[in-house]
Amino acid sequence: MKNTLKKIAIFCLAAAVFTGLLASCGKTLESTTAASPTVITDQLGRAVTLATNAPQRIISLAPSNTEILFALGLGDRVVGVTDFDNYPPEVKTKPSVGGYSTPNIEEVIAMNPDLVLATEVHQAAVIPQLESQRITVVALSPQTLDDVLASITLVGKATGKVKEAVKLTAAMQQRINSVTNKTGKLSPEMKPRVFYIIWNDPLMTAGAGTFIDELINKAGGINIAGDLTSYPTISLENVLTANPQVIIAGAGMGEGEDLPYQYATTESRLQGTDARRNDRVYSVNTDIIGRPGPRIVDALEDFLADIHPELRDQP
Amino acid sequence: MPRHIKPAEIAVTFLSGRRLRIYSLLGLAAALVVVIAVATSIGSVKIPLSTTFRILLDRLPLVDIHQTWPSSIATIILEIRLPRVILAGLVGAALSIAGATYQGLFRNPLADPYLIGVAQGASVGAIIGFLLPTAWNIAGFGLIPLLAFIGAILATVVVYLLARVGKTLPVTTLILSGVALSALLSSIASYLIISSGNKMHGIIFWLMGSFSMSRWSEVGIVLPYVAVGTAVIIVFARLLNVMQLDEEQAQQLGVNVERYKILLLAAATLITAASVSFVGTIGFVGIIIPHAVRLVWGADHRFLLPLAVLTGAIFMILTDLISRTVLAPTEIPIGVITAVCGAPFFLYLLRRRKKAIF
Repeated sequence: MKNTLKKIAIFCLAAAVFTGLLASCGKTLESTTAASPTVITDQLGRAVTLATNAPQRIISLAPSNTEILFALGLGDRVVGVTDFDNYPPEVKTKPSVGGYSTPNIEEVIAMNPDLVLATEVHQAAVIPQLESQRITVVALSPQTLDDVLASITLVGKATGKVKEAVKLTAAMQQRINSVTNKTGKLSPEMKPRVFYIIWNDPLMTAGAGTFIDELINKAGGINIAGDLTSYPTISLENVLTANPQVIIAGAGMGEGEDLPYQYATTESRLQGTDARRNDRVYSVNTDIIGRPGPRIVDALEDFLADIHPELRDQP
Repeated sequence: MPRHIKPAEIAVTFLSGRRLRIYSLLGLAAALVVVIAVATSIGSVKIPLSTTFRILLDRLPLVDIHQTWPSSIATIILEIRLPRVILAGLVGAALSIAGATYQGLFRNPLADPYLIGVAQGASVGAIIGFLLPTAWNIAGFGLIPLLAFIGAILATVVVYLLARVGKTLPVTTLILSGVALSALLSSIASYLIISSGNKMHGIIFWLMGSFSMSRWSEVGIVLPYVAVGTAVIIVFARLLNVMQLDEEQAQQLGVNVERYKILLLAAATLITAASVSFVGTIGFVGIIIPHAVRLVWGADHRFLLPLAVLTGAIFMILTDLISRTVLAPTEIPIGVITAVCGAPFFLYLLRRRKKAIF
């Protein structure tokens, strides 16, 4: 027994020494890279010293980040994306570095990127690992539409595409304003009660503090789960009592993700709701609504068309 | 190892004695009715008790009450709460009697309804259902429970075939092959989950178990399995008492242990599989309720089994009530509540007895 313990202890010690050696190796190898003085603050509040002002090898660790990069005309500089990336279509030819929350660190390092765009899910494990290898990591963590615009500006700064970012965000802001100008004048009783279905079993919706809640409000609706927060489960009896006038459910483009929409249109117990009686059950592409990128404005316009079809074509 | 004592000697408890236990049975049956009515009238939407009872009475034949309530309230009572309460009761009853049966069959106090692969088989079946194209599904109902059921049955059949030694079915090999196959299936399930991409959240929710989407059609499917399985097990309760003796002794008493072992195993497995297929894996109930009943009323299976059915149904309806009301309109996963409510009560009973119970 004691012998076994001793062996384990020796093994652990050896492993620790070996890891230490590896870490110091990494440091000596990276010391040749010349650091540029440009320092930016990312959306996790971290001060990041950029390796270069015009990165040529960018890895995106989230589909929304990839969409921002492509929208800024940086598509050809993207060398790695995640398994979940599918927009724009040409992204499918890009090599993958693994899952969204679980990228393969070795793969990322091997691609020798000069910029990695991460998100808050990478804060605890992935970012420290990459930074210990002297890789520049900028994290985006937008919580509101304004944050999305700010994140695009941030990516513009980090990639030397400030002009393009200004142009893109101005166009997005203008589309947002055009929606809110129409819905801003509505009195509360002109705003329909909206129920958004994230998932059907258990029934999950979006409460305050989510993009969906913000989009519903900006598109002139009242979220029936507005007094809840985050992505709560909600009981069907509360939904029936709230009697939504519009139901919007997620439906992906690919196979297998439109269960919430199928549920919204077929669940017999929702039959008595105003939304079902007046045939006002709509689907939205979960890729667009779930990704805080340039297409979030498309989602806002879709919401307006669903919640206030009469306002859509108004000037 | 089985202890060489007669069932009568084990049965020294709070409420032993034939008459007391019969009264207990009647009392629990009445309590179940009350619990069903109360649980149906409480929910995240406040509905007056009188309205609930008028809606329920209105549905009885020969009773016609003038409708003064909005139809959404009737839908909430009759189409959302009542099927949910009934399904919770059925599943609680099923898991409790299945747990009692497994514990009796295996003469092992740690046996629970999921010991021989039912839950893991069902999980793998359900996950495959999620991974298939949605077009095969009708709004998510039908295919997933069916595949879960098939998975559960297949897993136990494989365990049974692996555990057979000649014409006998030794309990030890049955448990060991159950544990081994469960481990294998759960690693397959883990692999399928991490490679399931966007469908991952749906699978995880299914695995956590929930009554939140219960409907009458599910009650209609689960009920016959639970009713028949429970009846079969209760009919053979006396045999479970005999099996508490050494198997060899039982053989000497002229009982064909092997044949009844398989019959009881099949019945317990079927009712577990039927419940797991619709509500996912709900832990704790199948192990805690039989023990609690044994602590209070004794180990005689002729009483233990029906008492476990009623206690399990009441326990599950009440824990589900807690899970859907405490943080209403949000729900707490049922498994959390079964553990939080069940464990302290069980430990209390255990400390109070301070004797070996099995």
